[in-house]
Amino acid sequence: MNGRRDRLRRGAVLLLLVLLHFGLRPWLGTGRAAPDFLLLALLVYAIGTRPGKAAVAGFLIGLLSDAVRPVAFGSAMLAYTVVGYLAAWGKAVFFAENPVVAAAFFFGGVVVRDVLVLVWGGGLSGGGLAWQLVFWTPLQGLATAIVGLAVLYVFRRWLGVRLTG
Amino acid sequence: MVSERFASRWDTLAFVACVGLALMARALPEPAQEGVSSGVRRTLLAPFLFVEQQTGRLRAAYAQADGFLAERDSAALRAIGTAGLEEENRRLRELLELDRRLEAGAVAATVLRQVTPTRGLAVVLSKGARDGVRALAPVVTPNGLLGIVRSVDPRTSVAVLWTHPDFRVSAMTPDGSVFGLVQPRGGDPDMMTMLLVGVPYRDTIPPGTPLLTSGFGGVYPRGIPIGTVTRMLDEQAGLARTYIVRAAAHPGSASHVIVLIRRDPEVSAFGPESLP
Repeated sequence: MNGRRDRLRRGAVLLLLVLLHFGLRPWLGTGRAAPDFLLLALLVYAIGTRPGKAAVAGFLIGLLSDAVRPVAFGSAMLAYTVVGYLAAWGKAVFFAENPVVAAAFFFGGVVVRDVLVLVWGGGLSGGGLAWQLVFWTPLQGLATAIVGLAVLYVFRRWLGVRLTG
Repeated sequence: MVSERFASRWDTLAFVACVGLALMARALPEPAQEGVSSGVRRTLLAPFLFVEQQTGRLRAAYAQADGFLAERDSAALRAIGTAGLEEENRRLRELLELDRRLEAGAVAATVLRQVTPTRGLAVVLSKGARDGVRALAPVVTPNGLLGIVRSVDPRTSVAVLWTHPDFRVSAMTPDGSVFGLVQPRGGDPDMMTMLLVGVPYRDTIPPGTPLLTSGFGGVYPRGIPIGTVTRMLDEQAGLARTYIVRAAAHPGSASHVIVLIRRDPEVSAFGPESLP
């Protein structure tokens, strides 16, 4: 029973993040530095699951992302798949349930996602590419890390996460 | 929380399969990619896009209410004299034996937000075929031309912005004396620059000259602002000149756009069959 309840709770948190992605982002201006709630949902899911399931979840989120991003179809699928797999795999190695490490975990997810999308999908080059990677990606990573920490803190019992330090 | 998280054989297989599917999706021909995207938007994403569209409208209502009222009032004032001008224009066209001017309508749409990079090249709009949007319909903002509709679903549509490498539009100076072809310059969309190519060598355009759509090709109506010439970039001696143009409409800051649609019953919107 507890396992089922835990899954429901975690599913509710993930659904909330997906709804925030579509419901809150329009309020955040142009959104280039706004937190990526979809990626956050993937990373939160990856914290508590196996790499294979996280890869499949990443693929599905990438599919949703590609459907609303009519350039370089498939690049988001690849990027989110890799991020999901690496997050679930790396969580076992690196995640120390320390807020700083958790923030770096979310920040790194955004950076890896953007690098893969840009390298694999193209679309930006030269100064535009550099500006995106040097300025906007870290900014969005920072915003996502802050929101991610807040989510972990608020829903730490539902997600089974202990934040220490 | 799982106790064992290191990858098993199943995990590796799932990962490889997903990567393989992603690579296959990337290699699909564009119509097939658009078909998959369209299917996802119409099914899995439909409720979420609805939420985004509604919250976008709510945000606009709160944030721009005063601006909307001011624009409506000024538009109403301008519209007072429009009826007389239309009648005068109709008579003049009859005198000159010109065909009836094509009637254009407009559909207001919300730009649905994206999170990943390359968002500045194309966008998903909240209006589709059910609202009268057709492929090749021009997309404009109050500042000027933003792009063109590439594909249409029943409730959403995909618009390619002027930053996209495939974008082209025939342009002219306001007095109609110089013509050329506007295309994106590449690089960062935030640079807001385009290129005006193919300007005859005998013609020169001073910096600060606005550029408008010429109407050639039948896709874009004549007279939509495109941008302003900033300087000459290049000249092929005796052949043509190239100018740098500062775009009128910013691709990143547009949250609401206007899709122009034709309402002439003899012309089936802006489909390829309407092109000359």
